[in-house]
Amino acid sequence: MNGNVLIVDDSLTVRMDLAEAFEAAGLCPLLCSNLHEAREALTAQAVDLLILDVLLPDGDGVDLLKEIRARPTTCDMPILMLSSEAGVKDRLRGLRTGADDYVGKPYDAVYVVARGRELLQQRQKRSPGPAAPEAPAPEKITVLVIDDSVTFREELKRALECSGYGVITATSGEKGLKLAAARRPAALIVDGVMPGIDGATVIRRLRLDVALRGLPCLLLTAADELDAELKALDAGADAFVRKEEDMSVILARFAAMTRTARTQPEAASSPASPKRILAVDDSRTYLHELAPALRDEGYDVVLAHSGEEAIEMLGVQNVDCILMDVMMPGIGGTEACRRIKASATLRNTPLVMLTAVEDRQTLIDGLGTGADDYIEKSNEFDVLRARIQAQIRRKQFEDENRRIREKLLSSELDATEARAARELAEAKASLVEELEYKNKELESFSYSVSHDLRAPLRSIDGFSQALIEDYADRLDETAQNYLNRIRAAAQRMAALIDDMLLLSRISRAQVKREQVHLSALAQEVADVLKAQHPERVVALQIQDDLYANADRGLMRILLDNLLGNAWKFTARAADARIEFKATMRDAEMAFYVKDNGVGFEMAHAGALFQPFQRLHDATDFPGTGIGLATVKRVVDHHNGLTWAEGAVGSGATVFFTIPHPRGTGQP
Amino acid sequence: MSRSKVILLVEDNSDDVELTLRAFRKSKVLNDIVVVRDGVEALDYLFATGPHAGRDPNLTPEVVLLDLKLPKIGGLEVLRRLRAEERTRRIPVVVLTSSNEDKDILSSYDLGANSFVRKPVDFAQFLEAAQQLGMYWLVMNEPSPN
Repeated sequence: MNGNVLIVDDSLTVRMDLAEAFEAAGLCPLLCSNLHEAREALTAQAVDLLILDVLLPDGDGVDLLKEIRARPTTCDMPILMLSSEAGVKDRLRGLRTGADDYVGKPYDAVYVVARGRELLQQRQKRSPGPAAPEAPAPEKITVLVIDDSVTFREELKRALECSGYGVITATSGEKGLKLAAARRPAALIVDGVMPGIDGATVIRRLRLDVALRGLPCLLLTAADELDAELKALDAGADAFVRKEEDMSVILARFAAMTRTARTQPEAASSPASPKRILAVDDSRTYLHELAPALRDEGYDVVLAHSGEEAIEMLGVQNVDCILMDVMMPGIGGTEACRRIKASATLRNTPLVMLTAVEDRQTLIDGLGTGADDYIEKSNEFDVLRARIQAQIRRKQFEDENRRIREKLLSSELDATEARAARELAEAKASLVEELEYKNKELESFSYSVSHDLRAPLRSIDGFSQALIEDYADRLDETAQNYLNRIRAAAQRMAALIDDMLLLSRISRAQVKREQVHLSALAQEVADVLKAQHPERVVALQIQDDLYANADRGLMRILLDNLLGNAWKFTARAADARIEFKATMRDAEMAFYVKDNGVGFEMAHAGALFQPFQRLHDATDFPGTGIGLATVKRVVDHHNGLTWAEGAVGSGATVFFTIPHPRGTGQP
Repeated sequence: MSRSKVILLVEDNSDDVELTLRAFRKSKVLNDIVVVRDGVEALDYLFATGPHAGRDPNLTPEVVLLDLKLPKIGGLEVLRRLRAEERTRRIPVVVLTSSNEDKDILSSYDLGANSFVRKPVDFAQFLEAAQQLGMYWLVMNEPSPN
């Protein structure tokens, strides 16, 4: 790995030490002792990583941080802050303004280099072309802003858009949740105080939604809200910032949040990194004594002077162990402990209570609120260190266990999923096989029906006719009548067999869709009917622009049946009329064949489309009773609907729809 | 090679044989009709083998009426072998069957059938078909020269 590391620190020792360490790691160090030099260095060359001290002779390091984050070309530069100020305030300021990490002095050079390289790698992963000539165009991130104040909403929107973000806004938590579900933004900024559901609730609800669980959320809090930070953490906010802060601070904090959200946040707590301890005590003397001793042991110690400060600090940086004094002004150690242990994200951090006096009741209260250990301030430092180490070890052990458990669980889930998929595939395959077998069976059945059942019928018919023709002189009228009846029955049975075979063939038929001119097809059918019955006078109306996306062969069968039926049932009408037209029914085109024949009782309409159901006497209107069943099956095959309307003596109308395969959501 | 003016009827159903013979009689087809009952016998007759070994193999039938559903060797297989043999490949073959499965019709034509006639149940239709067959293949159709 190569790249320029700008090291800004007023201490020559620190500069030399870090320069040596970074050089050994293959990076090129640039050294500055104050802000002025640093600004010049930043304009003179590309800087890939910045190590920045807070207290500099000519100003505040955090100001430079702000400037860098505000400039589009440098806004995603990895920045690691380094400070001898052990207090929470600078750390909070640095991290909230957008520092990627914050390490206390005295530092561990190996760790600073390792962490710096980590940040560099993360950044290179984000922007694959670090040496790209044009300014890195950050991918457009859509941000959802939820705030009830129109002024603030617009101001923030403008600021975000200037920084290249896409912005959508909502005026309340309820609307925001709906918008988040509908638009899937990449990040969220929500006001903590709103009428209706507040910001923390919005975040909590988002965390319950599987699809939105990972959404980075920034909570805006009011200054006077004491436990705002805790509420934010509890709800699962990734970061929070005070609303009255400068807009540039809000933006920087937001940028830092979306950056870390896209990379692994675990990186900082690798087992090799120094352990960070948050020491919380109002008595400066004890902490001042404690901090250097722990630092000498290699711990990064952060000092907080009240429970409130501690909670604020925990909102921006994780620690490995918390040392908490019981007796403090403000919310006090016991209450701070209770709040920390109530937060899902902080619950697992070991917390050791410190007290000046042996006090059984305080001890019990403290442990009752979830403290992990309890020691007296008067104890030897060695004891304290041992306890801390024990707690950190325990936490590491638990983390490890949890990781292993999660891994096991997820691999078990994967295995179960794979097994289910396999079983499903097997079941499907065996079903398909069975279906194919059944289809073959049906095919061979219908083949033998068409072949073997017809042969005897042929004999019955043929020999009956032979008798009538060859032995007419020896058969009286009754005998000839009987033979004619035998022939009629045989022919009727043959017709039944043919119709049944057609019906079963349609069920198995593949629908080959094409544009079919139904009007022309209907005309062909009508011509055949006229040729077969030249004695009939029928007024036939066919609408001439009827088309359907359908199987031509099946449409022919359908029209053969419908027009054939209409033809048959108008046989006794004085002025037979048949229409083939289309109309709109429920926003869909329905074709219909209408006649003024004998009609049917609507009560029996349902039976019309069942095979072998006949509503008329076979001698009046000969037929097999399969025609309309065939029609319905053809229409079913096209995912359409079939229905009939009519009344006895006033004709029948059969409707059908042929939906377009791409329309109406039907397959 | 010459033609024997014989019609070879390959049919296992005796009723169909009887009705077909009657139909030809009715329509005044006077050719000799040789009836064989299965695919093996049909091939024996055509190739002058087996029980028909004494026959002159160069005397080929005028037309073969071939049922598809036959014992031993099926009609389609008979058709395939007949078309594969030099002496019999030009004999007109009319496939005569009671099925009208598309599959059968297509396979018949693929294997070189000259015509495909479905045996109707209505005997009047059957008679008509037989008459047309007789007229077409025995009168209208110009036999292929030697």
